[in-house]
Amino acid sequence: MRRALVTAALVVAMSVFGAGVYQAAGHLKTGRPHVQRPTQTTGSPLSGTIYVVQGGAIYRYQRGSFRQITAEEGWMQPAADPNGTRLVAVRRQSNVSEVYVLERSGRTWTQLTRNRSSQIELNHWSFYPRFSPDGSRVFYDYDPKDPYNSYRLDLAIFSSPVDPSSGDSVQWTDPNPYTGGDVTPIPLASGGLIYTKFSIDPQSKVHSQIWLQLQPGSPGTALTDPEADCLQPAVSGDGRLLAMVCTNGQPLSAQLVVAAFYPATLSLGRAAVLVNGQLVASPSFSPDGKTVAYLAPVVPGGGFQLWAVPVAQTTVPAPRQVSTGLDLDATSAPVWVP
Amino acid sequence: MFKRRVLVVSAGFLFAGLLGLGAYFLPVFQAAGSSVRSGYMPELDPRQRSTAPFTVLLLGSDDDAKFPPERLNTQSMILVRVDTVARQATILSIPRDLWVPIPNHGEGKISTAFQLGGPSGAIAAVESNFGVHVDYFVWIGLNGLVKLVDQLGGVNVIVTNPVLDDFYPSDLTPGGSPYEYYRVAVLPGAVRLDGVHALQYVRSRHGDLRGDFARSERQQQVLLAIKGQSSRLNVADLPALASALNGELKTSMGPTRIRQLLSVAGDFDGQSIHRIVLVDPYTSEGVIAGQYVLMPHWDMIRPLVRQSFP
Repeated sequence: MRRALVTAALVVAMSVFGAGVYQAAGHLKTGRPHVQRPTQTTGSPLSGTIYVVQGGAIYRYQRGSFRQITAEEGWMQPAADPNGTRLVAVRRQSNVSEVYVLERSGRTWTQLTRNRSSQIELNHWSFYPRFSPDGSRVFYDYDPKDPYNSYRLDLAIFSSPVDPSSGDSVQWTDPNPYTGGDVTPIPLASGGLIYTKFSIDPQSKVHSQIWLQLQPGSPGTALTDPEADCLQPAVSGDGRLLAMVCTNGQPLSAQLVVAAFYPATLSLGRAAVLVNGQLVASPSFSPDGKTVAYLAPVVPGGGFQLWAVPVAQTTVPAPRQVSTGLDLDATSAPVWVP
Repeated sequence: MFKRRVLVVSAGFLFAGLLGLGAYFLPVFQAAGSSVRSGYMPELDPRQRSTAPFTVLLLGSDDDAKFPPERLNTQSMILVRVDTVARQATILSIPRDLWVPIPNHGEGKISTAFQLGGPSGAIAAVESNFGVHVDYFVWIGLNGLVKLVDQLGGVNVIVTNPVLDDFYPSDLTPGGSPYEYYRVAVLPGAVRLDGVHALQYVRSRHGDLRGDFARSERQQQVLLAIKGQSSRLNVADLPALASALNGELKTSMGPTRIRQLLSVAGDFDGQSIHRIVLVDPYTSEGVIAGQYVLMPHWDMIRPLVRQSFP
């Protein structure tokens, strides 16, 4: 009897041991990175207010904590008006995206574009909206259709009045064909426009350049070399500094670069590298122009976090990680307002 | 007598532990078994030394409802050479429209070799035309890529230019027709893509001047990103991966080789990976029997391949 009991106990112990080995093996796996909602986290405090996007919702970041201001409805790429009282943002749904003006609370004020069509290929995209410096117009990307080739689809930069009765829409840029087009408009107080232009060289290599155009339809001029592959420009509030991401043709890392901008000579000063070797995306200046916020993962393959780095032309500054555990939309530049 | 009992009890615990491990890794064994059962080849050269450089032919097919399983072409063929000692890799994208002799089947687009002879047919076409030895193959379908990327938690890539397509097939949409389409826009810059968006990124070819070559470059990019993501995995992640990919990925690589690849994946950086796309002057466009094709210029391709795949 006692022997049978001991045997049974041993069998149970062995089964438990086997199950334990199974469980222990499971604990060794790394699994998928855990992503948190911004409202579940706190961050390193920064001055002012920053708007970021995750999972199709816009979040406001103030004094180290996030507050969700829109539902998760495909919202992306917010930008602030000159007074900081309103936001312009894209709402993307299947086959179409529209530009809206929102209150700072996230409530919709008005819809600026009407891009929806019942025929799929006749829908339009609108991306990267930005208020003009006087707040009267919105610059944005739009895909005009090519009537002779339905496969050609290149984004061009347009501007439209916030009040539709106060003027017409204007096409500013003429993209290089079959490159995907011109993106990320930054209207300047001087009346010009900075944006990213793409080209494909005879060796079939894609290049991106920061481009400056003074008038709608004018050819414009390149501010960066094709080989530097710079994109996603940001201009400081006083218009004197330009931040951008340059990949130098690298597939998995980039530099965050800042340079003085000279509108009179249509040129940039010597570029200073603020961040090197990270998967940097979508920089934007603080209201005082002394810091650049940007998005980058902490580890290769991780979700994009909010970072801040002081602008320094001589020394290499130390970037500060602001958020943790998030998966921010890297195509939506942080909006930093006072 | 006591020693014997101790031995029996120890053996019992050992057996129980092995049973636990076996149960944990069961999906891996099942996946490995199903690859062989479905008519695909086992490890082609099991005597290979584990540290010697080896080549893998990556095959990607549009396995949606438009095509019966036995009539799949390969939309993507990528030859990879991995040198685990030198920590170097070479990635060569083979254009799907490349017009080549296909062993035992006359001439045709290299993408049809898989349809005509399965993985061994695709391998034979690559070996005979490019003069390389292929050690392993990995085949993945559309859903396989989506599941792989999702299982990894997404991939981070730098999108070089906007990828826009108004006629992207909606063949993976639940309940959707494989002949319907929807609009795709992948915006430039560093982004994190989930499985569906990663597939859109590597599959879309309308609206880009470089057509299929652009797609090849994007496929290489995502491959590098997957490599980067998988470097944080360990052998304990394989069962979940195998379960997710059950039937969506087939390979002749054994678990030992996969484990070895995982262990060194993080040591390869962008600098140590040589990427080749056979654009002009390695190929030129042409029309044969009413089909758009790419004519290979072997006098330029073969020296490049000999150098890159010694």
